[in-house]
Amino acid sequence: MFNRVKTGALAALAMALATTSAFAAEKKLTIGVADALTGGGAVYGLPQANAVRMAADEINAAGGIKVGSDTYKIDVIAYDDKANPTEATNAVRKLIDRDGVKYILGFCCSGSTSAVASFIGNEKAVMLVGNAAERSITTKKIPNLVRTRPPADFTGQAAGTFIARKGQKRIAVIGALDVGFYAQYVDSVERELKKVGSEIIAREVFTLRDRDMTPQLTKIRALNPDAILVVGYVESAAFVYRQAVELGMNIPRYGFTSGSEEQFLRVTTSAQMEGVWDLRPTELDLLSASKNGIAYHANYTKRYNATPSPSSPYAYDQLYVLKAAIEVAGTVDDTVAVARAIRALAIPPQVVMQYLPVDGKMFDVNGQAYTTNGAFQWQKGKWVFVEDLPSDAKAYSQFLSTLN
Amino acid sequence: MNRTLTILVWLVAFASLAMLPQLLTIKYYLHLSILALIWVIMAQGQNLIQGYTGYVSIVGAGFMGIGAYSSTLLGIHFHLPTWATIAMAPLVTALFALATGYPSLRVKGHYFAIVTLAFNLIIVIVLINYKELTNGETGISNIPKLWGGSRDAYFYLVLVLAACLTLLAALIARSRVGEILLAIRQNEDLVGSIGIAAWKYKLFAFVVSAMYAGLAGALYAHFQGFINPEIFGVAQSLDAILAVILGGSGTIAGPVIGAFLVVFLPELLRFADSFRLILYGLILVLATIFMPIGIVGVCKAAIRRLSRKDIRSDA
Repeated sequence: MFNRVKTGALAALAMALATTSAFAAEKKLTIGVADALTGGGAVYGLPQANAVRMAADEINAAGGIKVGSDTYKIDVIAYDDKANPTEATNAVRKLIDRDGVKYILGFCCSGSTSAVASFIGNEKAVMLVGNAAERSITTKKIPNLVRTRPPADFTGQAAGTFIARKGQKRIAVIGALDVGFYAQYVDSVERELKKVGSEIIAREVFTLRDRDMTPQLTKIRALNPDAILVVGYVESAAFVYRQAVELGMNIPRYGFTSGSEEQFLRVTTSAQMEGVWDLRPTELDLLSASKNGIAYHANYTKRYNATPSPSSPYAYDQLYVLKAAIEVAGTVDDTVAVARAIRALAIPPQVVMQYLPVDGKMFDVNGQAYTTNGAFQWQKGKWVFVEDLPSDAKAYSQFLSTLN
Repeated sequence: MNRTLTILVWLVAFASLAMLPQLLTIKYYLHLSILALIWVIMAQGQNLIQGYTGYVSIVGAGFMGIGAYSSTLLGIHFHLPTWATIAMAPLVTALFALATGYPSLRVKGHYFAIVTLAFNLIIVIVLINYKELTNGETGISNIPKLWGGSRDAYFYLVLVLAACLTLLAALIARSRVGEILLAIRQNEDLVGSIGIAAWKYKLFAFVVSAMYAGLAGALYAHFQGFINPEIFGVAQSLDAILAVILGGSGTIAGPVIGAFLVVFLPELLRFADSFRLILYGLILVLATIFMPIGIVGVCKAAIRRLSRKDIRSDA
């Protein structure tokens, strides 16, 4: 009788210990997302937040993040920053100070990202920037900040070479040129055009909230350019493409927008888009995508009942980068070690974008990643990948290191 | 409320706020409190021109931007200490306010509002396009912070400044100048008819209001460490107007309450995700419709009603 009781007690103790150790081994890691979930920037921010949630669920389903004997399941908190600097600061302060978050992802828009970048260096946190393309974000050498999207002028240089090769001599630019990174893109294009004797003959500006661009287009039409170059958010650019056709401007149209088919077709028709070029980082496109890209597209579409925006994988990739770095660093608490591990990381196999490594690493010394650039053309209702745009990541990285 | 009780309430409010850094374990709320105190300064200035003088100015955030950029740029280009550039910011803003106030105040009512709105737009356009000086839309990062960025210390600086400027606003409101401003709000023609040069007083209110905004801007810049033109757009000017209306136009306590509301309310509504701004807008619309006299006005009316009841029950 006594033995049976003793055996029973021991079994109960063993079960209790096993349960306790199982609970101790499986922990929760809260990841923060600060992004534009409402307002004009939401066309980029909302898909980015969705992409992080999707990556978190995939990682959790595959067992989580393994750190020594512990396994971390990811929990995502996303706050709206409306692409506004003050809101972004408040959102990130809330994540760090109140929610105790150490890893913050997202960041689609440059102004709000720059505001957070100005203080993140003093925090025990790691910031992974997505779609925000302003060059200065990675010129400050902030050790706990990295960016998955290349700066706009890296792409602008490749785009300029492409347009120059097409032989058009007089290009008119219309865009959100008040926005720093769009202006940087156009400056890079202009430098390449000048090399072959071509020129930019007009720089017409619209704001990100403008919807009627016919005055600027009418002025451009009077200059009789060989082509137009449109730089701006998807919706504004879609209006330009539509109104250019309505004004009878039958000339090549180049752009830098990174919008999905669905986003463009909310404003314009497929016929009005026919032939438009988008010269941008080789983001998500089914024709150019890797296996990961195709799977990402299918999973995202199934989960959210909408196609992903081409730039959304920048945020998806951030979480896989973070997972790999935490596993290498062997800690979730030491953010300095994790930040260092991110910088030393080779490109993780799960990422969607096609990154160009610099010295075998995903991020260069500035914390900047580079993707290939590509020329996409709208053909019969779809963006079709036409060709790679030659891009020298190492040379650009060295140039970026000289800036501050 | 008698005067002693009013002073006591203010002292209790000040003491409670002064204890916040010790009481708040989550520093995010201290961050918001600093922003709210900066908005108190902004709203007190707005109240002088809007609440007391009856002129709704939509250039507050523009002047805030001038203060922020002047303090930042004076520091960068002339290597002046941060406290000195913060002190100079309202003076620089005052110069701009003098230049814009004179033509703006030649018109009244809606026309004045539209002219000031245009000035705010112009200020933002200049900040965006004068890239050599302002770095355009990219903005200016790494603006020096006082005391190594200590939030506790900065909180006390902003608290003391907000208290002093609230006191100054109260002194102006109770002075002869304040009485004339109120008279202008009631009947400007009548003020003119008794030989008072109303334009001087209006210009005074406009310039002082701008100086408050300029100081608020400088404090904002050295707190956040980053500025770009977007922060000083018309939407922020409307927030200043709302702070005054919500709290209680033409009262001293109103802008204090209103400032805390416009900072804290959108943050407290974050739980509502994408419905946050709809909820915020709805609350503002309902508050403006059902509380046109603001929170302070409603409280005063309630106290009056209660004291009348007490008198009746005593009888």
